Amino acid sequence: MNKSLSVLNNHPHIWRARDQKQSEAKFSLGFPRLDKALNGGVASTGLVRISSLTGVGELSLFKRVICQHRTHKLVVFINPPGLLQSPWLENLGLKAQQVLVVKTRSEQESLWAAEQCLKSTACHCVVLWSNAVNQKEARRLQVAATHNDALCLLYTPPQQQALQLSSQKADLGSDSQANLSNQSDSALPITLDIALKGNPHVLAVNIRKQRHGWPKDNIVISHRWTPDNQAIKWAMSHNTLSDQALHSVS
Amino acid sequence: MLWAYIYCYQLTLDSHIKAARNKRAHSQLPKHETNNQYSSLASNTPVAVYCSKTNKITQCNDIAKKEGIEIGHGLAQAAALCPYVHILPFSEEAEKHMLTQLAHRLYPLASDIVLDNHIQSDSVNGLAVRLDNLTHYYGGHTPLWKTLTQALAEADIRYHFASAWTIEAAKVLALHKFNTYLHTPDDIKKALSSCPLSITALSPKVIDSLARVGVSCVQQLLAMPVQELGQRFDNNTIMYLTALRGETFPRVTLFRPLEHFDNFTLLPFDIENTQHLTPFVTQQFEHLSHYLRARNLYTSSINVRIHFREAPIMDINIRSALPQSSVQSWLPLFNLKTENLELPEPATAIALTCQQFEEMDTQNGDFFSDRFNDIAQKQLIGRLNAKLGDNSTFQPLAADSHQFEYMTVTESSAGDGTGNYAYSSDITPTFTFDVPKPLIQATQICFGPVRLHSEWWHDSPTKRDYFIAQTEQCVRLLVFKDEESRWWVQGLFC
Repeated sequence: MNKSLSVLNNHPHIWRARDQKQSEAKFSLGFPRLDKALNGGVASTGLVRISSLTGVGELSLFKRVICQHRTHKLVVFINPPGLLQSPWLENLGLKAQQVLVVKTRSEQESLWAAEQCLKSTACHCVVLWSNAVNQKEARRLQVAATHNDALCLLYTPPQQQALQLSSQKADLGSDSQANLSNQSDSALPITLDIALKGNPHVLAVNIRKQRHGWPKDNIVISHRWTPDNQAIKWAMSHNTLSDQALHSVS
Repeated sequence: MLWAYIYCYQLTLDSHIKAARNKRAHSQLPKHETNNQYSSLASNTPVAVYCSKTNKITQCNDIAKKEGIEIGHGLAQAAALCPYVHILPFSEEAEKHMLTQLAHRLYPLASDIVLDNHIQSDSVNGLAVRLDNLTHYYGGHTPLWKTLTQALAEADIRYHFASAWTIEAAKVLALHKFNTYLHTPDDIKKALSSCPLSITALSPKVIDSLARVGVSCVQQLLAMPVQELGQRFDNNTIMYLTALRGETFPRVTLFRPLEHFDNFTLLPFDIENTQHLTPFVTQQFEHLSHYLRARNLYTSSINVRIHFREAPIMDINIRSALPQSSVQSWLPLFNLKTENLELPEPATAIALTCQQFEEMDTQNGDFFSDRFNDIAQKQLIGRLNAKLGDNSTFQPLAADSHQFEYMTVTESSAGDGTGNYAYSSDITPTFTFDVPKPLIQATQICFGPVRLHSEWWHDSPTKRDYFIAQTEQCVRLLVFKDEESRWWVQGLFC
């Protein structure tokens, strides 16, 4: 019996949680706590799902991943939620020639375009906005991405997560339908599945699923992606000189 | 068989316009004062190309046409109509060079290319590309044609095109400015029948004798049996006619790219200073780097030749210790080499040649991760446009405006000045909405205000105070307050 187990252990597709060493390339995100939880960063290939509201800094979080690697290849934005602004891209560190925006009319077209982009070998990163993908579609994108050395960032609205949590609760009530959808949703065959939640001044990251690693909840990072009035506030609060000057007028 | 014919009717003019535009893009440097004179040249001066052999204007731009100059006018007539017309000399050699460059550009995409260029006074310049053997690789006619037109659009030339069963037939249709892609024999036949005989390659004598028997358009010619024609005309004419009908396929010499790299650029104006050569040389280095990258090669020695009107050609050999391919590595070497160089007289043309190549080191591990993918990119864009529609893909480009609505344009053709004065602003949102939405959520301001007025030449002047606001869910929005103190949401920060 022992022998047969050891044979099974040698199978390359079986991963044991105690194996922390991986040979796969990782892209660091630049946030030490998050990188540590992800064992070094985001994998360089594959499908990554990010469930979040639009506008909590979900793109800026991946700034390093998008801008600092494979810079001779395209970054494709498929079905973005608005008109992508070129000065923002420049601030992020992307050149205009390197960016392609694809407008689609339906979910199916978006998925088709994403797969074509991944398979073309011309793309480094495909950023896709989609409401929902099922297991089969996720698998297709994952395979297309890993085989062509590309990364696919899939942005979905956070309802999915809420739905999943509620269905997990309803699990006890043995609602088989909800159970099934929950199964298919959480079991997407992808590299990384994370959820973002914005709190004032910080961003909370929940790693719902990652390959070769454990899920981890509530990793809080301080993330600044827009300018703010901190500098002015600081100057006002520390400015004792001008206060006196103001008083001396009267 | 299916051939496409691309009839390039104004190559000299196109290259002049392109070179002048390129020059303008580089002329932002304040030290080049003289450039302004040239920069305005392409956009609002009448330009005509004059062939001295036949004393005819062969090509002219729209502004020249507006002045009354037409193709076929003599020099005196043109000068009388418009005294300040800018005349470019017509040179068959130069046109042939440009055509060859175009063929080099298309060669990675299509294997069978025929250069149709005859050194004659009123020659027709065009390229024929065989399509039927390529449809298999591109997965259909539409993606193939989209890919080719994309490459042609990048070459920035004006052309008429048509497709038909033989080069001869496609050429007749292209000269007829048919500009439609056909691939079924019935459509081609219908299109051909409407063409007049005068645009075919038949000699005037043959056309004359055909006119005498009442044949004046291609339709009648197609209907005639071959035996009847055989009694009247010589062998060459018969061969041409059967090719036109798609019955025989004459032998053609296919284009083969050179073993070495050779790029020749005719300068749009005489250049006296080596520093002013830099933009044109940069362009050539870009071509070289594309060429080398596509073939997985490096080079350690290149030759730049500068042509003059009278003086002998100046040959500058540049060597590099390390074999390299990129523009960034070769351009500084060129600048160093020519820093102290004095040109004996104004330069008229430059050529970049490269004879010796070196194989890339196969031990180098980053070969696969850094593979050249220009062609893959073109194929991808062609495929996406074919399925999703022509306007489905674009690249966001910076535009000349400080207002968030007009900061980004989606098409490069929106204006020639595009991208010259990109406004960099650190409060630009990631996405803007097509129209601002009223702000209906509770938000907290975290940055602002920034007051922006619209430009005075806009019809409806606006004055807006912009803020970055944060909702309860920490979504950051670009909001503004208009003059009536109403609040709007215009964009998102992702």
